[in-house]
Amino acid sequence: MLHVKNRELVVPGRLLAEGKYLLGEGTFREGNGIFSSVVGLAEVREKRVSVISLQGRYIPREKDFVIGIVTDTHPFGWIVDLNSPYTGNLMVSDLVGRKIDVFKEDISKFLRIGDAIAAEVKMVDERHRVQLLARGRGLGRIERGRLIEISPAKVPRVIGKRGSMLKVLQDSSGCRLQVGLNGRIVIKGGDPKMINSVVEAILLIEREAHLSGLTDRIKAKLEGMR
Amino acid sequence: MERPERLIVDGRRLDGRRPDELRPLQIKAGVLKRADGSAYVELGKNKVLVAVYGPKEMHPRHLQQSDVAVLRCRYNMAPFSVEERKRPGPDRRSIEISKVVREALEPVLFLHLYPRAAIDVFIEILQADAGTRTTGITAAAVALADAGIPMRDLVAGISVGKADGTVLLDLMKEEDQWGEADMPIAVMPRRKLVTLLQMDGNFTPDEFRQALDLAFKGIERVYEAQKRALREKYVPASEEER
Amino acid sequence: MKEMVSSVKRDYIVNLASQGKRLDGRTLDQLREIEVRRGVIGTAQGSALVKLGNTQVMVGVKIEHGEPFPDTPTSGILVVNAELLPLASPLFEPGPPNEDAIELARVVDRTIRESQAIDLEKLCIKEGEDVWAVFIDIYVLDHDGNLIDSSVMASVAALHDIKPPKDPEWTLPTFPIRRKPVAVTVAKVNGVLMVDAGLEEENVMDARLTISTLEDGTICAMQKGGSGFLERREIEEAYELARKCGEEIRKKL
Repeated sequence: MLHVKNRELVVPGRLLAEGKYLLGEGTFREGNGIFSSVVGLAEVREKRVSVISLQGRYIPREKDFVIGIVTDTHPFGWIVDLNSPYTGNLMVSDLVGRKIDVFKEDISKFLRIGDAIAAEVKMVDERHRVQLLARGRGLGRIERGRLIEISPAKVPRVIGKRGSMLKVLQDSSGCRLQVGLNGRIVIKGGDPKMINSVVEAILLIEREAHLSGLTDRIKAKLEGMR
Repeated sequence: MERPERLIVDGRRLDGRRPDELRPLQIKAGVLKRADGSAYVELGKNKVLVAVYGPKEMHPRHLQQSDVAVLRCRYNMAPFSVEERKRPGPDRRSIEISKVVREALEPVLFLHLYPRAAIDVFIEILQADAGTRTTGITAAAVALADAGIPMRDLVAGISVGKADGTVLLDLMKEEDQWGEADMPIAVMPRRKLVTLLQMDGNFTPDEFRQALDLAFKGIERVYEAQKRALREKYVPASEEER
Repeated sequence: MKEMVSSVKRDYIVNLASQGKRLDGRTLDQLREIEVRRGVIGTAQGSALVKLGNTQVMVGVKIEHGEPFPDTPTSGILVVNAELLPLASPLFEPGPPNEDAIELARVVDRTIRESQAIDLEKLCIKEGEDVWAVFIDIYVLDHDGNLIDSSVMASVAALHDIKPPKDPEWTLPTFPIRRKPVAVTVAKVNGVLMVDAGLEEENVMDARLTISTLEDGTICAMQKGGSGFLERREIEEAYELARKCGEEIRKKL
């Protein structure tokens, strides 16, 4: 039996369903019941009940696309801040794509402290130690663009269902966006005014992520700017 | 201040409440910009502000727990929060309260989801009028939920006690100071599980049972206000009624 | 401050508890052997050494002149301090009292203060200026579990051992102590309640509830500890245990 409506705002401890339902994210089971563990919007898809959290830090998961900032180096690579309780480790071979003899070659020419990188989470172990991959299409050092940070919980809204919001953001502004699931977003484009409009649009999405009808409003806003 | 001759006259307390009445309670979630989660609670003249930071990287690293997040709590009274200025910084009372508050919040959190991390809860008592530790817990639970930290329930706190031989809900300063017993309690309301229980003074076994009954009633009211506050952050009260 | 416990040992203790049994063969409502020795320290006005199984706690009480608090100008002063000495456990470290030591001292303080065992009003020398201050110093010598109960026992025994200070201003015939408050801590191990947990049981307990009672069964202090929770029926059951075991302990003091 279902005790919640789709997109209903729920709080921790709220009974969502009883009986044969599947646990989605933001939920836990106790006895026969499925409860919400966070403040968020309930989502029922067939038999799976989840709660999309409206707050919370980014926790790395394998295959996630993230934007990191190099904070330290070690003999074989770099420590990367992920806007998360957990830092990432990037080995030099996962950036450069060839064997490097770290005793002969100085790796500081590839990355320096403070550099931003686009990366994929390669591996997370049970203690949440994170290995990154920054080699391949769209990955690696970020050379230019405007970097902003938003609440990681709001990133799914910036991307939208099957990328719909991201498409609107890019198509109606002419800018290119790299959206890290860790809440960091890089915006590239020729026109600084348009970049500013995209930033404003993203901050609006962040503020009103729990409301519906956002996509159309963002589209109208950006097209009005052009 | 002199002790009034009687703390209860014709079934009414000094501020006009009946024995089973709470003081006015207001809770607001998400009041601070920088914190990951925050809450502000007023209970009568108590004013309590709580910030939550985390889960975040644990420093110093030797305090990391390899399989769970560590919850750290700091209960602190502002120097101006009481009649006579309180010397700033932790004293023995606040260190003990910080410990029992932490233990009151731990059972509700899924700490194993964040190995090696830390979650910091800062409880600042801005104005005190008895019941600050339980008001702090009420606020802390809302702030933790506001930070998006997974929880099995909220934790609601209230104090019960006795003055002029009558068992009372939600003691105010005069009743705490001159009454015969004070019992702070915190509960995970959904299953009525007690996570903090302290008491000093004098209770007969019967009074103790009455006090528990009263406490559970009060907790329900606090719980409703907590849930409302978390919803109101996203859906303003007026909109929810529509 | 908990020791790392292997899952094998945890399971063993939990398993025993679910059958109503314990590591040392006791029943769930059975205290360890209690030994109380009074007058162990000549330089203190009152003192006691309590052995509760292998746990050993010494308390020395000193009585000195003190200045009364402004809001209680005719009342003597009670100060309780606890030291978790490094000699008592490999986990205790030198330095200022940590939260465990502070909690211990404050629970003992509340138990004695709220029981009104000491008639503090009798300890006035000159109103607003000079009163007797009673310093209870708890010295944990060997930590094998249940420091709260053993510290309350040693404190109450030491208070009943007090010989008046040799001071011309001391005019009372005896030290004004009139009751014997007793703390009983009930540990919850995987949902099973037991009294007087040993160290190994403490290391696996979910929560504890200390209930301090007086001769007539009234409660004067309580303290829940640990990261678990208690159900209401567990709290009421703990009270019954506290009352029953409290009687036994009181006979030894």
